[in-house]
Amino acid sequence: MDFNTFKQIVISKAQAMGIEEYELYYQAGQSTSVEAFQHEINEFSASTEGGVCFRCIVGGKMGYASTEDLSAAQAEAIVERAADNAAVLEAEEAVFLGEGGKTYQPLEMVSYDLPKTDELIAKTLQTQQALYDAHPQAVDGCQTSAFSQSMEIAICNSKGLDLHYTNNASGLVAAAVISDGQEMVNDYQIKVGKLDSIDSQALAEKAAHRAAGKLGGETVATGVYPVVFSPEAMSSLLSTYSGIFSSETAQKGLSKLSDKEGQVIASSAVTLIDDPFHKDNPMPINFDAEGSPTARKLVIESGTLNTLLYNLKTAAVAGKTTTGNASKAGYDAAVAIRPFTMYLAPGECTEEQLLEKAGNGIYINSLGGLHAGANPITGDFSLQSAGFLIEQGKKTVPVKSFTVAGNFYDLLKSITAVGSNMELPSAMGMTAFGSPSVLVAQLSIAGK
Amino acid sequence: MISRELCQRVLQAAVATGADYAEIFTENTVNHAINMIANKVDAIKDTVIAGAAVRIYKGLRSVMASTVDTSEEGLLRCARQAADALGEGTAQMDIVLKERLFGDIHPVRIVPASVTNREKVAILKEGYFAAKDYSDQITQVTGTLLDVDHNILIANTEGLYAQDRQIRTRLSISAVAEVNGETQTGSYNPGRRMGLEMFETVIPSAVGIEAARQAVTMAGAGYCPAGVMPVAIDNGFGGVIFHEACGHSLEASSVAYGQSQFTGKLGQQIANEKVTAIDDGTIPGAWGSINIDDEGTPAKKNVLIENGVLKSYMVDKFNGRRMGMESTGNARRQSYSYTPTSRMTNTYIMPGQDKNEDIIASMEYGLYAKAMGGGSVNPVTGEFNFAVNEGYMVRNGKICEPVRGASLVGKGSDIIMNIDMVGTNLDLGQGMCGSSSGYIPTNVGQPLVRVSSITVGGR
Repeated sequence: MDFNTFKQIVISKAQAMGIEEYELYYQAGQSTSVEAFQHEINEFSASTEGGVCFRCIVGGKMGYASTEDLSAAQAEAIVERAADNAAVLEAEEAVFLGEGGKTYQPLEMVSYDLPKTDELIAKTLQTQQALYDAHPQAVDGCQTSAFSQSMEIAICNSKGLDLHYTNNASGLVAAAVISDGQEMVNDYQIKVGKLDSIDSQALAEKAAHRAAGKLGGETVATGVYPVVFSPEAMSSLLSTYSGIFSSETAQKGLSKLSDKEGQVIASSAVTLIDDPFHKDNPMPINFDAEGSPTARKLVIESGTLNTLLYNLKTAAVAGKTTTGNASKAGYDAAVAIRPFTMYLAPGECTEEQLLEKAGNGIYINSLGGLHAGANPITGDFSLQSAGFLIEQGKKTVPVKSFTVAGNFYDLLKSITAVGSNMELPSAMGMTAFGSPSVLVAQLSIAGK
Repeated sequence: MISRELCQRVLQAAVATGADYAEIFTENTVNHAINMIANKVDAIKDTVIAGAAVRIYKGLRSVMASTVDTSEEGLLRCARQAADALGEGTAQMDIVLKERLFGDIHPVRIVPASVTNREKVAILKEGYFAAKDYSDQITQVTGTLLDVDHNILIANTEGLYAQDRQIRTRLSISAVAEVNGETQTGSYNPGRRMGLEMFETVIPSAVGIEAARQAVTMAGAGYCPAGVMPVAIDNGFGGVIFHEACGHSLEASSVAYGQSQFTGKLGQQIANEKVTAIDDGTIPGAWGSINIDDEGTPAKKNVLIENGVLKSYMVDKFNGRRMGMESTGNARRQSYSYTPTSRMTNTYIMPGQDKNEDIIASMEYGLYAKAMGGGSVNPVTGEFNFAVNEGYMVRNGKICEPVRGASLVGKGSDIIMNIDMVGTNLDLGQGMCGSSSGYIPTNVGQPLVRVSSITVGGR
């Protein structure tokens, strides 16, 4: 059955059980992708997904239950399960359903028709040819794909909240594999946007060029060096540690930023922004997972922690108002906290000037294993890296198979300069991370 | 459950434009997870996942369409969508489905969905408070009791009609310790392809104590020095080294496309002769075990590497076509909405002949990695990394002080040549492995091994 019919059964059941405060969160999506290998389309996939999360306040506790099966039996079952789940909860913080805001900032989304399958296929094959053309050593591991996706979100609750959101996107992926006969290296690039406006040749050339740049890498001597992180590398590090800016993490004692609002936590070169409306994020949104209006905010301003990110529950604990950062990791997840587009504000220097300031050091443009080698609670990291040597202020030979180690809280304080080249690499979903290149005074490098 | 008759019609619609193979996969899964933090039961996640996917092949092309609508009309629409995407010719195929029973080598005694929240909370609390009460230095504990009841049905144009019920249970406890202002974490996450009878052998309080012990030990530790050195990696989750350094590069999804350092290396010496490695989906009750894979092929015990010689890849039906190989029972997907591909099940290095004390005694200066964290690999280059959650310096053949913040990096093809001592005490450790077909439960495993030389990231 459709969501609206399902919703009516849920509401009747909730009312019959005497549940006064309840909410339904619906998320559905469709996606289509094609993939090419050796100049032929070898995989096509189309999926339709969607589910409903019901939550309700029973005895002062928030119980959740979710389903993808929109049947009458499940409509009743999720109400019973959510109430049953609420009954064993013990957390004492007050819980809330959102009443929404008086106004929501209008979205300036560039909407476009999604490409048809024929267009996806043509663009994928064209990009694949461009990959082979981009480098004489491109080999048959090269793959390309194009995709289109649409998603919708609806939230409605017993407080009268009734919000709806839709978003369409398409994009292109180029994965280059380059081999000199001895060594095989790779890189991939992804670009989201209107398919016929994406320059497939430029995307293919970037992937092939970046892959080829890794051939013949040397190992670096173990030691302590100044480090310049590329926009990609710094964005991935920021993504890994973004949880430290969540008030929920802080209130549970899992972030060192609890009680640090208003204090200096970073060098004066650091300004960190969270913007739900950033022009390069293909999925801007004007309400959060609790229906609160979203807003741009300076999280760190010239080194001072202005604010953590809040939802209704954590704001009440702190005696503040929500920053509109409630989020759900999936339709069935509990409401938590996430940034939207979080990025380090660009500074004045070009990347070349950062390299000059570094003098002799390491340029890192790739970090690996962030889910394992970076501890989000302690801030310690020790990460597989790749990049270039910086010698006398210039990038020289590629280096690989080394690690960079440090502590993210310390790193924020030792950023001595920030570049002007802000990028949002691989911005795909509602949450995206960006950064310019940054110079960090010193970090430990383990190589040979 | 979708009838044989309906499956036949869906498959017929799927091959209508000339596919040479079609498959329908339907799923109904209940996921239930209870979370604790700050000494309280904080949240419960309770989800029913239900849907279906139709896949068709023609030669080396594959098409998949998935849907949440498992009504007759929804399934037929899904089949037509797949057929249209192939979009050529008309065809008919004689499809006669025979129900196949592959038996259950992982019988479950206590179905989690039939146990009340209160009973599950009691198990979680036993683990949680064992960690919390371990020491005054424990400042925070988080815990999760997860149970999954995953029901699948697979039918294909080869005549297969089969079902499997895969129940699994996992207790995860993480502890934060603070010693002299230094914070560190510890965690332990055992899981089984079992119901709640798992806790007759895995004692919840022991799980909490292990997480807390690790956190307190590491909070008192200094940073691991950086450099290249020999490393002894302990059993259980230490097997993540083989999983990352070699396992992913033996999956058909990399090998078939020339995206693996081990493409074309069957029969060659790719590892130290002390290394024999197995992928075995048939270990009763083990976290990565299955009765049948997600293409309906019965799970097998496959020898991947024997005395260092590459014997087999892990192959699914579709990539097997490109490679000219049969499925090895390794096709797996997180759910109906992912295209299945070749993945690991329970993958481990077989016990060798070396005594543990000899392995440690052989190291003049190096690292003993007692507990490992996760890792990742780029199968194209073989460059991998993984984190050491609990490490100790080894000097003059003796285990010395604990060190924190270490990671190990290297190139898979080099490192498996460097595994030059293999102990006798095989154990398995549980992980969730993420790749193109989503997150699936996998076991890693090994006895204590020595890697003669590897880059240790530290400071």
